[in-house]
Amino acid sequence: MIRVNVLLLVAVVLSALYLVHIQYESRRLFVELEKAALQMRKLEMDSESALAEKRAQATPMRVDKLAKEKLQMQPATPAITQYVALRDAAAVPAPAKP
Amino acid sequence: MSRSVRYSSSPLLASKTPVWRSKFIVAAIALGFAVLAARAAHVQIFGNAFFQRQGEVRFVRTLELPASRGRIMDRNGLILASNIPAASIWAIPEDVNATPAQLKELAQLLEIPLTELSSKLGNEDKSFVWLKRQVEEPVAKRITELGLKGIHQDSGFKRQYPDGEATAHVIGFTNIENTGLDGMELTFEKHLLGRSGSRRVIKDGKGRVVEDIRDKVPPVDGKDLQLSLDSKVQFFAYQKLRETVTAQKAKGGSVVVLDAVTGEVLALANYPSYMPDKRKNLTGEQLRNRAVTDTFEPGSTMKPITVAMALEAGRVTPQTLIDTGPGRYAIGGFNITDTHNYGTLTVEGVIQKSSNVGALKIAQKMSPHEMWDTFTALGYGQKPQIQFRGAVTGRVRPWKTWRPVEQATMSYGYGLSASLFQMAHSYTAFAHDGRIIPLTMLKSTEPAVGVKVFSPENAQAVRRMLQMAAAPGGTGQLAQTVGYSVGGKSGTAHKQVGKGYASDKYRAWFTGMAPIDTPRIIVAVMIDEPSNGQYFGGVVAAPVFSEVVQQTLRLMNVQPDVTVKPQIVANPVEESL
Repeated sequence: MIRVNVLLLVAVVLSALYLVHIQYESRRLFVELEKAALQMRKLEMDSESALAEKRAQATPMRVDKLAKEKLQMQPATPAITQYVALRDAAAVPAPAKP
Repeated sequence: MSRSVRYSSSPLLASKTPVWRSKFIVAAIALGFAVLAARAAHVQIFGNAFFQRQGEVRFVRTLELPASRGRIMDRNGLILASNIPAASIWAIPEDVNATPAQLKELAQLLEIPLTELSSKLGNEDKSFVWLKRQVEEPVAKRITELGLKGIHQDSGFKRQYPDGEATAHVIGFTNIENTGLDGMELTFEKHLLGRSGSRRVIKDGKGRVVEDIRDKVPPVDGKDLQLSLDSKVQFFAYQKLRETVTAQKAKGGSVVVLDAVTGEVLALANYPSYMPDKRKNLTGEQLRNRAVTDTFEPGSTMKPITVAMALEAGRVTPQTLIDTGPGRYAIGGFNITDTHNYGTLTVEGVIQKSSNVGALKIAQKMSPHEMWDTFTALGYGQKPQIQFRGAVTGRVRPWKTWRPVEQATMSYGYGLSASLFQMAHSYTAFAHDGRIIPLTMLKSTEPAVGVKVFSPENAQAVRRMLQMAAAPGGTGQLAQTVGYSVGGKSGTAHKQVGKGYASDKYRAWFTGMAPIDTPRIIVAVMIDEPSNGQYFGGVVAAPVFSEVVQQTLRLMNVQPDVTVKPQIVANPVEESL
């Protein structure tokens, strides 16, 4: 009888220690998960700001200025545009009626 | 001298222990256990709620999970407004013990005067003070690197508007709490806002989250918004407007570009404008979305409408002859005049030459009621159904109160008022084969379904007249473009000051469409108080119309409908346009 009791006591103590360990482990993993989630959020934010930055560098205002000043370009007009008709007319969007 | 004790023979041990003592000890221990049991019962059963609460107060926290505000995009998916991370810097004044050099550096980073920073930090009665909100991330990082005690940061977002002043009046802006205050940011606040989520967590002694104690409520991010605006068209319109307002030394101006098929607003620009993220010292002149908030008498822009209603009622045909001689007409004690004596003109000629006398004679064939009905059907005196707060109604008085002279002046656009936006809207009736279409700021791919005001034949007849008015011999020939046929009507009016008209202040505008046979766009331009010698709509506003039409149709891939003499040369730098 005593032996069974001792065995049970040992089992309880071991299980209790294991529980403590598992609790600790779960919290540790949870903290890691939190960190990863934070990292994800930060990367999302970075990507968003990178997109915004890319857009800010390519606004029509900036493109127009650089094209005119650096590349000496001019806005296209029908006078300097060669319009070509494709043979396969179905493959192109219908042009406005002349 | 020590004396040894012989315990075995101690008289105390020898004496017999009384039984009550051991019983007393047992009872005391039992009582101790009973007290413990009672306490345990109190803590775990009766007072459980209280202790649970106290525990939570110490370790459980509710964290807010902020939802990000939706982005605003143009019709091609280009971002017009988005969120970028921005920190808010705050301090606990009594904790701050920075050296003067450090404070100077901090003030420089925050872009505030050192004296202001010192006065904020000098107030030690306060336990919290904002130093600057919405600081961009690189700056916030450098502030962290300074490692100053008592200076803290909260992370957050701020709105960024890449197109800046070109789209300011349409997009609007948000306040520091990211709540929309103007433009689309205000109108679509609910759509963009989203709903923040929350989670209940346990934090450990170091403030780290160690456990969720409830399922978290995830944040619902605001939805993105796709506008009908085309950021390239918007930019060109704004750029041309700015150049013209500056060159003409005008007070301001507006441009509206509409898609004549779908009813989408492709561009809406005003000048002067402002940078939405730098809003210090702004004036109403800069903030006002003139195109929808400023009303004025539409002037000659109304003549095509007068003619269209007379055509619709069958009172005239395009070739009906109208005697406008001798260039003036007396009615109700007023003298209505033309700039020249045009003699007898056809109805088409009345529009082409912009004859006031001709217009009033056509109007006299109509009843006030008929005119009022058409004005109302075209949106005059009605609140525009558009997603702008503060879009004004303009004014058309009830027809029963019109005197004959008022009916006459209304035929050429005086005695009623409208915004530039309303004028552009009313012209959709001509562009859309007689049907006025609803306008929208949101992208739509379906052709709009309009309400019939004129028959398709009459709308086409008016379009031909508009084409004549913008052709050589008309008042708006500077509206001509290379490769595209255009039609439109210029307008010029003395500005109203108090109860009368100012003799030296004008407003000039031009409203038209292109290509004229199957209109794709409607463009309306208004220049307020041009004061560089020129003030006629056909001279001041028509060139802006021309440039905007040219660029917009090219960007929309519309094929030219007018044969152009090619000017293609080998060296593009030496081209002349």
